[in-house]
Amino acid sequence: MTRIDFVEVAFDSLRINRLRSALTMLGVIIGVAAVILLVALGQGTKNYVEEQFAGLGSNILIVTPGKIETKGGPPIIGSVRHKLTLNDSRILEKKGYLFAGVAPVVFGTAEVRYQNRSRNVSILGVTPAFQEVRNLHVEIGSFLGEADVDARRRVCVLGRTVKRELFGNANALGQTVKVAGTLFRVVGIMEKKGISLGIDIDDLVFVPVRTAQELFDIDGLFEILVSVRNKNDLNSGKELATSLLKRAHNRNEDFTITNQAAILSSLYTILDTLTYVLGGIAAISLLVGGIGIMNIMLVTVKERTNEIGIRKAVGARNRDILLQFLFESTALATAGGIVGILAGVAGAYALRLLVPKLPVSIPAWSILLSFTFSVFVGVFFGVYPAKKAASLNPIEALRYE
Amino acid sequence: MGSEAASEPLLRLRGVTKLYEAGAGRVVGLSDVDLEIGAGEFVAVMGPSGSGKSTLMNILGCLDVPTSGTYEIKGKSVAGLSPDRLSELRNREIGFVFQVFHLLPRHTALRNVELPLIYAGVPREERARRALEELRAVGLEDRKEHLTNELSGGQKQRVAIARALVNKPSLLLADEPTGNLDTRSGDELMEILAGLNASGVTVVLVTHDPAIARRAHRTVYIVDGKLVSVERFREIRG
Repeated sequence: MTRIDFVEVAFDSLRINRLRSALTMLGVIIGVAAVILLVALGQGTKNYVEEQFAGLGSNILIVTPGKIETKGGPPIIGSVRHKLTLNDSRILEKKGYLFAGVAPVVFGTAEVRYQNRSRNVSILGVTPAFQEVRNLHVEIGSFLGEADVDARRRVCVLGRTVKRELFGNANALGQTVKVAGTLFRVVGIMEKKGISLGIDIDDLVFVPVRTAQELFDIDGLFEILVSVRNKNDLNSGKELATSLLKRAHNRNEDFTITNQAAILSSLYTILDTLTYVLGGIAAISLLVGGIGIMNIMLVTVKERTNEIGIRKAVGARNRDILLQFLFESTALATAGGIVGILAGVAGAYALRLLVPKLPVSIPAWSILLSFTFSVFVGVFFGVYPAKKAASLNPIEALRYE
Repeated sequence: MGSEAASEPLLRLRGVTKLYEAGAGRVVGLSDVDLEIGAGEFVAVMGPSGSGKSTLMNILGCLDVPTSGTYEIKGKSVAGLSPDRLSELRNREIGFVFQVFHLLPRHTALRNVELPLIYAGVPREERARRALEELRAVGLEDRKEHLTNELSGGQKQRVAIARALVNKPSLLLADEPTGNLDTRSGDELMEILAGLNASGVTVVLVTHDPAIARRAHRTVYIVDGKLVSVERFREIRG
């Protein structure tokens, strides 16, 4: 029997038992679709998180005051905890040859009022460098300038939401708002940025850092954001910042430098693992689909015992019967795999339409892997029933009704 | 083939015994059977049910091998052949016609007739051509695309004959071919078999019906797994 012929014979019986073929395929279809859909979901979650962090920039070091450590004994009376100051920021800026930008930040909340409308918002005291470091830009007007900082001017830049809430559609540029009871002139409106890490970027008000210190009556900083010129220099940048600040703080390491990228990469590792786990769970359903194929093929062999007897009587060898049944199961699994891929991809697209916030995406490896696996399942679970069919005794098979 | 037949019989059984393992002991299917069938013969095998007719037919058809004794087709022994070699032998040398037709259900008549050619490795077009020829010979050319379950009993059996003959076997083996047919279809079928034999096909017919057996040129009688004379057979049958 030539190769073409057993393909023909196998397709004959698949066509004749259309409903059963379809139902058998269903197990594999669901399995493959589940693998693709769940992996896409895992990938989507990762993409979502990545997007959330994208605004932060992966080349940022965050310097915060205070050292996270465990100390023994009672606190020494009179020991002063060093703050982060604008001086620290200036040192980093001047001597940090690896840094692209250094942005000191003061943080506080205050009531912002315009005429009879008021809103409680977060106030960020920043320098012009903040724009580049955090990748946030004004849409209308201008951002805070160097002179605004030095002269402690009472000017502010409004986030999109703040502007809309206070001014509606009216022009805000050049108007004065009251921040914590003090008059500020609006010099710019930020572009729309959305929510990042639970903070509504659009619901912020930016003022010059020195002005903010005065406003909140503090002389320290909330944090210093440092962007590194080259991503590969994150670690050496951290060392540089540490040594510079230690020198300024009398050799005390009373600050903490966090590497944004390090935190992200461990988070991504977790999300990748999640994707694999989801894919693995789905693969189990594919395996169950394969067992379904074996189940049906065993029933088929039983049911078609007479047919096998007839084929053997007219000259089919064991190998011919084996190949026929093996090809049937493989064809079922392969067809199931293809339909499953289509269903999975369609499902992923439907999900994208239903939940636009979740950027699901289908990695090529999930398609390749689930397809290969489904073909493998067809062969693997087809072998036993096919062997059973091939080894039937022709006389008994003919007698079987 | 005809001239060969004079010296060498087509089929030769020598001391063929077939034993079956059955529960507690062994059941004798055939006991020391000697039989020669020449090419072109029309032989009926008669015997009551359980006499060993089916066992003899299975051995003649190479579906089974003897426990002891020798069986030769065209001078070649089938002893020790693997199941696959037996399949190839059946494919080339033997055409079967069964009482219950044994056609593939839900396949067309043509597909059924093609079946032996598929396993003989005949290319697709030649297969279809030869199968159609054989269907024409039994007068069913116009039924080629009919599914077997749409055919009458007589038509089914004619499709089975076409299938049996399509690979030009040495022997047509018919097991109670009229058993499931009405009288008229049965008569028609016997006409076909007689005609085939007249054109040179060797036919071995297994039956328990004396009227059918009478159509053959020679009848062998089997009782309790042994070949017996016609007188002995009548005696036993009462």
